[in-house]
Amino acid sequence: MKPPLALMNYRVVVCLGAGGVGKTSIAAALSLGEALRGRTVDVMTVDPAPRLLDALGLDSDSSEPRNVELNGVSHRAGARLRALRLDPKATFDSLVERYAPSAGAREAILQNRIYRNLSQALAGVSDYMAIEKLLELHGEPTTDLVVLDTPPARHAIDFLDAPRRILELLNSRAAVLLGASSGFLGQSLKLVDIAARGVLKAFDRLTGLRLLADIQEFVRGFEGMYQGFAERAERAQGLLRDPRCLILIVNSLRAIGLKPGGLIVNRTLPEMPSLAELSKLKIAPALKRKMRRNWEDFAALKSRESESLSALRAIMPRRAPIVVVPDLGREPARLADLAAIAHWLTGVELDDDSPPASTK
Amino acid sequence: MALPRLIFITGKGGTGKSTVAAAMGRALARRHPVIVADLDQRASAARMLGAELNGAGSARLTKTLEVRALNPRAELEAFIERIVPLKMVSRRMLKSRTFGYVTAALPGLEAFLMLDRLRILAAEAARENGYLVIDAPATGSALDLLSVARGLGRLAPSGLLNRLAAEVEEFLTDAESFGVAITLKPEEAGLREALETASTIRKMRIRPVGAILNAVCGEFFSPDEAESAAKLGEHGRLIERRFELGAMADRARQRLGSAGLDVIETPMLFRTALAKAEIDELAEALAPALR
Repeated sequence: MKPPLALMNYRVVVCLGAGGVGKTSIAAALSLGEALRGRTVDVMTVDPAPRLLDALGLDSDSSEPRNVELNGVSHRAGARLRALRLDPKATFDSLVERYAPSAGAREAILQNRIYRNLSQALAGVSDYMAIEKLLELHGEPTTDLVVLDTPPARHAIDFLDAPRRILELLNSRAAVLLGASSGFLGQSLKLVDIAARGVLKAFDRLTGLRLLADIQEFVRGFEGMYQGFAERAERAQGLLRDPRCLILIVNSLRAIGLKPGGLIVNRTLPEMPSLAELSKLKIAPALKRKMRRNWEDFAALKSRESESLSALRAIMPRRAPIVVVPDLGREPARLADLAAIAHWLTGVELDDDSPPASTK
Repeated sequence: MALPRLIFITGKGGTGKSTVAAAMGRALARRHPVIVADLDQRASAARMLGAELNGAGSARLTKTLEVRALNPRAELEAFIERIVPLKMVSRRMLKSRTFGYVTAALPGLEAFLMLDRLRILAAEAARENGYLVIDAPATGSALDLLSVARGLGRLAPSGLLNRLAAEVEEFLTDAESFGVAITLKPEEAGLREALETASTIRKMRIRPVGAILNAVCGEFFSPDEAESAAKLGEHGRLIERRFELGAMADRARQRLGSAGLDVIETPMLFRTALAKAEIDELAEALAPALR
C-alpha cells in the first residue's frame, strides 16, 4: 500500500493549524516515523503537553536539540531523532547577538523597553522566531529532515508571512521617521511623515506612554543589524517556498497563498462496526438493545464528523492528500503511542503490525 | 453567590467555548437583558445563535438577547478620536501606516482598549440588571489579554492610559463585575489545562466563576457490562468508549471539585448536527445552575 504521506523527498515539514487539534502530537509522530526509517530528524515543538515532553525525553528548558532514546521501538540503522522546544525570546536574543555590530549596541537593544515587550507586542515575533530556528536546524549538515510544530496561529498565513512582515516593519517609513539616519534605508522624509511625527509626539504626551524615545532607540539599534536580518528573512522565505518543504495543515483551513501539501484530520472517531455483526452476538437482549442505542448515538456523531470532512475535502486542492488519524482514546504518553500515530500518517511498520486499539 | 455581570468564557481549543457562550446567553436571556459578544471576527457564538455578523456590528435576536462582535481596530479608532478631538487630525493619524506600526509596537494597546470596552459594557449591564457573556479566545491568548492592563500600567507611568489601566485592573478583580468560566471536555489534557488556568487567574486575583464541563456522558453501561465488552469485538469497543467517557467525566468532576471550582455540566449531544435546537437544549441544561 502506498503510504498516506510519503515524506522521503522532503527536507522540511511545517505543521500548521489552530490550537487544540493535536498538532504537536502529529509533528512528533511524523518525525518519529521518518526517524524509524533510518533518517536523521529534528523536531521542534511549541508548548507540548507534559506527557508528550516525557515521551520525547524533554524538560521545560530544552531550547537546544536533545537526542530522543529510540530504544523502545524498532528502527533502521542510522536513525536519529532530536527534539527541542521553541523559545522565541531566546531565539530573538541570539539573533541580536549574532548581528549586533558592537557589544554596546547589543546591550542597548537587549535592555530596550520596546524590545523586551516585543514578543507580546508584535504578533509575528514568535512565528518569525520559529522560522528562524527552522533555518538554523535546516542548515546543520547532519540533519536530514526538520519537522516544525507551529504556534497556534489564527490564520496560517500569519505564520508563513512572518518573515515578510518583520522585514516590512524594519524597512518601514516608521523606522525612517522615528530616528534612523536618513541614509539607512535610502528613503527620504516626506512632508506627511513630518506631520505624522508631530501627531505621534502628541499621542505620546496625551497617553502618558513616553515611548517615543524608546522606539527611536530601538529602531536606531537595529540600524546596524538590518542587513543581517533582511538576508535571514529572505532565506527563510526561500526555504518555505522550496519544493522540498512540505506544508501540512492539521484540521484547520484558511485560504493561503502557499499551497497546502496535505491535510491531517486528527482524532477522528473509529469506523462504525456493522449492525449485522451486532445482531449475530450471543448476548442478553437487554444488553443488545443498549448496544444498539449506543451504536446509534456514535453513528450520529460519526455522521456529523463525515459531513465536516467532506466540507474540508471540497476546499482542498485536488491532489493534496487528506489523512485521517483515528483517536487513540488517550493522550500520547509513550513513544509507542507516537509510533502508532506515525503508522497512520506515513505507513511506517509497527513491531506487531497491528494498528492501535481505539480505546483502552 | 450571584454571577458576575460579565462572564468571560475561555478554555482549550475545541472545548466548546462558542457553543457554551451561545447557550449561556440563551439561558440568561430568559430573565435578564443579555449581550453575547465575540472577541474575534469569526463571531462563532453569534452564528450559533443564528446571526451572521460580518465584521463588526451587532444584532438583536430577541427582546432580551443581543449579539455583538468587538473589533480591536474599531476600539483603537474610538480611542484616538477621544484623545484627538479634531476629526481631521485623528482620521489622518489613523490612516497613516506609520501610526499603524507604532501602535503595533505598543504592547497590547488594542487588546487593552478591548478590555476597557468590556468594562464600559459591564457597567451598562449592571444598570439594567443584565449580563454580558464573552466568547473569549483560547486559554493562552485569553490569559495574555487579561494581563495586558497590568503591563500597560507599568509602561505608562502616568497620564491617561495609566489611569485607564488602573480602572480596568479594578474591574477585572471585582468579583461582582468580572469572572472567568473555563470550558473543558472530559479528557485528561483539557482537565489539566483547566486546573492550571483556574490557578493562574486566582493568582491574578480574578474570580473563577467555575468550570463548565461540556459534552458529559451520563452513566449508560454498568461496570459489569463494560467488563464484558472485551469479548464483544468492535461493538465491545463502542461500549468501552462510552464507559470511558462517563468515567472520565466522573474523574474530572472530582478533581475540579477538590480544586475548589464550581462545576456546571452540559450533556454530550449525540446528534448529527449542532444547530439552534441543540443550543436551546444546552441552554435548558445550563439554566438551573445560573439562577
